[in-house]
Amino acid sequence: MISKRFVIKRLLLLVPVLFGVATFVFAILHLSPGDPARVIAGQRASEEFVRQIRTELGLNDPIWVQYGRFLFEAVQLDFGQSYQIQRGQPVTEVLRYKLPVTLEMAIYGQLFGILLGIPAGLLGAVKQDAVSDHVTRIGALTGISVPIYWSGPLVILLFAQVLGWFPASGRIASEFSIEPITGVITFDTLISGNFAAFQSAAMHLLLPSLVIGIYSMALISRMMRSSMLEVIRQDYMRTARAKGQGSKITVMKHGFQNALIPVVTVIGIQFGSLLGGAVLTETVFGIAGIGTLLVRAIQVGDYPIVQGTVLTFAFLFTMVNLLVDITYSYLDPRIEQ
Amino acid sequence: MSTQTETEDVGDRGVVERLRASPFLSQLLSNRLAVAGLAIIFGMLAIGLYARLFIDLQSVTTSQIGTNPNVAPPSWLGPKEAQVVTDYGTWAYPFGTDIQSRDIFRRVLYGAWIALKFGTITVAASTVLGVGLGIIAAYYGDITDNVIMRTMDVLLAFPSLLLALALVAIFGSGLWKVVIALTLVYTPRFARVVRGAALKVLEDEYIEATEALGAKDPRVLVRHILPNCLAPITVQSTLNFGLAIIDIAALSFLGFGSEAGTPEWGLMLANGVELGLLTGDWWWSFFPGLFLAITVLGFNLLGDGMRDALDPRMRETVD
Repeated sequence: MISKRFVIKRLLLLVPVLFGVATFVFAILHLSPGDPARVIAGQRASEEFVRQIRTELGLNDPIWVQYGRFLFEAVQLDFGQSYQIQRGQPVTEVLRYKLPVTLEMAIYGQLFGILLGIPAGLLGAVKQDAVSDHVTRIGALTGISVPIYWSGPLVILLFAQVLGWFPASGRIASEFSIEPITGVITFDTLISGNFAAFQSAAMHLLLPSLVIGIYSMALISRMMRSSMLEVIRQDYMRTARAKGQGSKITVMKHGFQNALIPVVTVIGIQFGSLLGGAVLTETVFGIAGIGTLLVRAIQVGDYPIVQGTVLTFAFLFTMVNLLVDITYSYLDPRIEQ
Repeated sequence: MSTQTETEDVGDRGVVERLRASPFLSQLLSNRLAVAGLAIIFGMLAIGLYARLFIDLQSVTTSQIGTNPNVAPPSWLGPKEAQVVTDYGTWAYPFGTDIQSRDIFRRVLYGAWIALKFGTITVAASTVLGVGLGIIAAYYGDITDNVIMRTMDVLLAFPSLLLALALVAIFGSGLWKVVIALTLVYTPRFARVVRGAALKVLEDEYIEATEALGAKDPRVLVRHILPNCLAPITVQSTLNFGLAIIDIAALSFLGFGSEAGTPEWGLMLANGVELGLLTGDWWWSFFPGLFLAITVLGFNLLGDGMRDALDPRMRETVD
C-alpha cells in the first residue's frame, strides 16, 4: 500500500521545484534579446505605439510586480495572449488544441515500445547469451544510438516514398475535415462515427509512433532483460524451482512480477523524455503539436507561447515523474524508507 | 604552484593504482562490445583529425555549382534518370552531391570533426561544472547544499531537449550558444552523481583524520574526494558524450545550431529532409545520419561496458 505520508511528502517537495520552474519561465521573457512590444507592434510601428503597448503589457512596472503578476496568472493557467502565431488568442486556448496531438502520438509510441520491448527483454533474459540475447542487446543499443531525426526520414523514405504504404506527413488526409472535440484525432473520428477518417488518421499516426516506439523499445527491453536476470538469480526463485513449484513457466511468471518494478520506472521516465523528443518527431513528420509550436514560437519571438509550452512540458514531465515514484513505492514498499 | 603539482601527482598515482587494483580495466577490455565501442571512437577521431587537417573547409562549405555535378547520387550507383554525369561507376563522389553541388562524402568527414569537437567541449564543461558543484554541495552541506541541489532539481524538471530549447530562446542560436545551453542542461546530472559519491567518501574516517590533521578545505576536496569519485564521473561522461552529439545535431536540425553551409551532421540532415526527401534524394540525409548514429553507438557501447565493469553484481553474471 502507498502511505498517505509518502504521497504528501512528495507533493510538498514539488512546490519549490514548480516555483523554480515558473521563475525560470518568467526569466525567459526578460532575459531574451528583443523587445516584446516591438514584436507585437511590428518593425515599422511608431515609437509611440510601441510605448503604448509596453504600458498595456505592464512591461514598465517594476520587475517584482511583473513577477508577482506572472505567478498569480500562471496559477490560474493564464499565460497571456499569443503575439504572433495566433495573434490575440489566449495561450491556453492555443495549447488546448495542440497538446492532445502531442500526447496522442507519445502514448501510441510508448505503447509500441512496451509491447515490443518487454517480450524482447524477457527473451534475452530467459535465454541469456544465446544468439537471440545478443541480437536484442545490440539491437537495443543501436536503437538508442539512432536519432529520431534520422530514423524518421528513413522510415518515410522507405514506407511512404518507395513502397507508398503510408502517408509521409500530417495527421489525416486532406479530404476529411474533423472538428476537434477532444483534439485526440483517433478518438474524434471514432466519436463522429467516420470510420474512413479514423483509418486515415491511424495510418498517419503509425509511422511516427513506430519511430518513437523503436527508441522506447530499446530502453525498455534493456531494463527488462537486466532486471529479469537479477530476479532469476534470487534465492526465492531457486527455492521455488527446487520445491518443484509448478512448471518453469509458473516460476517465471512469479519472477516476472518482481522484475517489472524497475521497468515501470523506465517506462515512466521514458515517457517524460518522449515529450521532449516530440519536438523532433513532429518536425520530421509535419505534425502540428506543441513541439512544432514551440519551435515556431522561438523563431518568431512569440514569448507567451514559448513560456506556456515550456511550462506545460515541465509540468507534465514533473507529474509523470511523481506518478512513477508513487507507482514504484506501491510496487516496492521498501522504497519509502 | 608546487602544492598544485604535488596534488596532481598524488591524484594520478591514485588513479593508476586503483585501476590496477580493481578488475575494472581488465573487465572492460574483456567486454567485446566495449572494445568495439572504443574502436569506433578512435576511428571517428582519426576521421575527424584527417578532415580537419586535409580537407579545405571552404570547399565543403560554399557552393560548388559548376565544379561538381548537381544533386548526383553516389557515383558508384550510376546517374539519376535524365542526368548526365561523367563520373559514374567511379568513386569520385562516394556519397553523392547536394543541391549546391558539394561533395557529401567530404562534408560528412568534416562533420566528424565538428561533432567531436563540440561534443567534447560540452561534456568537458558540464563535467567540470557539475563535479565542482556536486563536491561543494556535499562538502559544505547545509544551506550551500540546499541551494545548489534545489537549483539542480529545477533544471532536472524539464525534459532535456526542452530546457535546451528554452535556453536557446534566451541566448539566441549558434553552435557555441547550443554548447552553453547543453552544458547547463547536463550539469545537474553530474552534480547529482558526484554529490552522492562524495557523501559516501566523506563518511569514511580518513577524511575526518585529514581534517583533524589540519588539512584545509580545498585540499581535502581536491586530493581525497575527487580521485574517489572518478569512476562514476567517467561513466557518466562517456554516456553523456553520445547524448551531447545527438542533442547538438538535434538543435542544428531544428535550425538553432550551426550556420547555413556548415558541414555539420544535424544541419545536413535538416537540409536533406527539407529538400531531398520528397524527391527521393536519400543520400543527402542518409550518410550524415549514418555517421552520427555510428559515433553515438561507439560511445554508448563503451559507456555500457564501463558501467557493467564497475557494477560488481554485473561482474558475477558476465562470466
